[in-house]
Amino acid sequence: MSEVVQLQLIGLSVIGIGILILLFIRATFARVIGFVWIVLGLFTLTALSVPQMASLPPVEEKFDIATVKTPTDMATIGQKIFFSKGQCALCHTIGPSESARCPDLKGIGAKLSREFLFESLTQPQAYIYLDYRHEGIAKEYPARMPYINKNPIGLSRNEILSVIAFLQQMSGEPISVTVAELAAPGQEAPAAPVKASQSGPVAVAQAH
Amino acid sequence: MRHQGGWIQRLLGSGSVHGGTLLGLVMAAGLLSLPALAFGADAVPPAATEYRDIPYVGSRNMIWIVAQLHLLLAGFVLGVPIFAWLCEVVAWKTGEKRYDKLAKEFTKLLTSAYATTALFGGILLFLLISFYPKLMNYLTDIFFPSFIVYCLLFLVETATLYLYWYGWDAMQDGGKKTFHIFLGFMLNFFAFFIMIVPNSWATFQASPVVLAEGSDLARAWAATWNPTWWPVNIHRIIANVVLGGYICGAYAGIRYLSARNTEERDHYDWMGYVGNFIGVFGLLSLPFAGYWLMREIYQYNQQMGITLMGGFLSWLFILQAMLIGVLFLGSNYYFWLGITYRIPGSEMKYRKPMLAMLIALLLCLGVWMTPHSLVASMEEARKMGGSHHPLLGVFGVMSAKMTVANLMILVTFMSFIMYWRAGKQETAGWAKVAKAIMGGILALSAIAVIVLGVWGYFVPALIRINYFSTTQVLVVLGVMLTITPLTALLLRSAKTTTEMVWGKMPARAGYALVLNAVMVILLMTLMGYARSSSRVHWHVYGVLRDTSPYAYSPALGSAAAIMALNTFFFCMIVAFIFWVATMSDKAKAPSASTKSELPHGMPALAGASSALDEPKVPKF
Repeated sequence: MSEVVQLQLIGLSVIGIGILILLFIRATFARVIGFVWIVLGLFTLTALSVPQMASLPPVEEKFDIATVKTPTDMATIGQKIFFSKGQCALCHTIGPSESARCPDLKGIGAKLSREFLFESLTQPQAYIYLDYRHEGIAKEYPARMPYINKNPIGLSRNEILSVIAFLQQMSGEPISVTVAELAAPGQEAPAAPVKASQSGPVAVAQAH
Repeated sequence: MRHQGGWIQRLLGSGSVHGGTLLGLVMAAGLLSLPALAFGADAVPPAATEYRDIPYVGSRNMIWIVAQLHLLLAGFVLGVPIFAWLCEVVAWKTGEKRYDKLAKEFTKLLTSAYATTALFGGILLFLLISFYPKLMNYLTDIFFPSFIVYCLLFLVETATLYLYWYGWDAMQDGGKKTFHIFLGFMLNFFAFFIMIVPNSWATFQASPVVLAEGSDLARAWAATWNPTWWPVNIHRIIANVVLGGYICGAYAGIRYLSARNTEERDHYDWMGYVGNFIGVFGLLSLPFAGYWLMREIYQYNQQMGITLMGGFLSWLFILQAMLIGVLFLGSNYYFWLGITYRIPGSEMKYRKPMLAMLIALLLCLGVWMTPHSLVASMEEARKMGGSHHPLLGVFGVMSAKMTVANLMILVTFMSFIMYWRAGKQETAGWAKVAKAIMGGILALSAIAVIVLGVWGYFVPALIRINYFSTTQVLVVLGVMLTITPLTALLLRSAKTTTEMVWGKMPARAGYALVLNAVMVILLMTLMGYARSSSRVHWHVYGVLRDTSPYAYSPALGSAAAIMALNTFFFCMIVAFIFWVATMSDKAKAPSASTKSELPHGMPALAGASSALDEPKVPKF
């Protein structure tokens, strides 16, 4: 019997006891308790009726360089990272979608060079826009993109290169990232924490 | 887990077998060898214990239950003084002694409630130090100066509470009463700081800032001023007022149901009205504070915002909408029962508007409960034709939800105004014009809210959030700030056509008050889980990772079971506190119940008088 079924049975039992109390007991306080049990039981059953998803810590992709023979292997790992530890799919979609909150990444590997992609992931504030919709001097309009190489996401260089390989492959482009670029185990710099307030814009590149 | 105490138990065990002499020798040898142990420790430094666990329940669940109970009790002991002080001020200004009696009745709870809250706070602290030493070391290192401030605040708060409670009867006249009112203000003033200091610890965990090198005080100050600190402070202070009001209402509801005579029924019916009124008063402004908090979370870290609103917690907000919806319905239902049973003859007059408001509330609730982003499998998404349901998806977006939330607030406000005006006839010469203006304001504001909501679909999110949603909030606040004083002014010269009758409410009114209180408590437990889960696998988001076996957020169903358990425990604790505090009253009850203490008429805002004929409480 699954945990959900067990909890549903407990919820139903609590509601049943609550109904019995209301039907057969006249003492006011006991009746109020019975009423509260019914309410709490119904709440629990409602919560159990929606999709049950636990939020697990991200799975650490085993990046065994020895098993990565081709750029396609890198793209396969990159795809897993894109939808898990990298949290890219939380905001981005691949293909148009009504729920997209951030740019659609379909064909992004063909539109942008791998250097630009790497910089977008590791220095998202490098290029900022100026917002002219206000009175006076235009305000900086920094991107919402987080630093992917720093906490809380904290992808390693190898993992970022793999994601780029996936983006290129998904866009039908030849993968320009090579296996030789992967750093050997122990040579990668650990991810560092960063806060939004800390990240200042580096340069104003576009004003329109 | 590390077990270090076994050898001591074995030694003690051997002592009981072979006599005290041997035990004494062994212990003396042990004491003499302590320095050697210290040298030994230098040689092989023990690994720092990061986590400890307990079997069956689990350390995380244990912390969850105790922390939740502590927080709910804290909300209660911070909400009740606000409630009591407001009542005392009303009594002081209007001369209506029953408000003073009500204030005293609730202040009496505070001494035992404070002790219980502190007890759970102490248990929570010991459990945190025991189960999460790594996290506690980290937080202590940063917040050590504010721990001291917190202790000092407790000292002054306790002293003020003693003066406020024990000096109640001695400070009833003239300047002494003014001083007593001042003490009540100071009690709430210190309580506010007692709330915001630990808020800084919890909000730092969710939205930490970069701490530069500096003095302990400078680092603590920087960590305290994190982005979500003030939004949470404001949200919690309002929520505490709501909790205090609805718990007062629930208490009154239970006492009303078990009332043994007319006086009790009249008194607790009136108390239920006051509790519900204060609860609704806070509830109307609570969504605005929640909106601000959510906005700050998005500003701070969009991923965290999306995790909350569109990620695995998206269904939680559907449950939240359900609870808030039931709370709005329960509060309005209580108002409508009041119009029907307390103001004879009003039932037919207001039946149609009440039905229209009920339909409006249900429609709004339906829209609010429509999910936005569902984490659906590919197959499910294909069946729906995308991540959104083709028909309902349009209602799932924030523009629709903000619109219906504001409309529900407007409807509830209309219920309150309707209740206030029932049984009275305006006599002022300008009454017609004023009523037309109020009607116009209400209609125009409702149209404005809907137009902005629909328009919100066609503008970028930034414009919708920064301008449209804010305007909707301001429009609704504007309505309340305009119509409330206008109605008060209009009713000042109004003629009472129907006397307010207390103690005639049906039993289901008492259960409605209990339901409202349970909804508020459940909401607090639900949103506590949401705030904690939004940090995902981090103790301090992005800085200190949770590496324990409990570094996951349980699914909503399992979490709801613990929330329900916590809610029930909290209800029982509050019932116990009320029972203990009113024990002496019950012993004195036969002589204390006099005609002079009966509620005479409505409170100042509702303005009518009581009819004291024998009521029959219909059965539930």
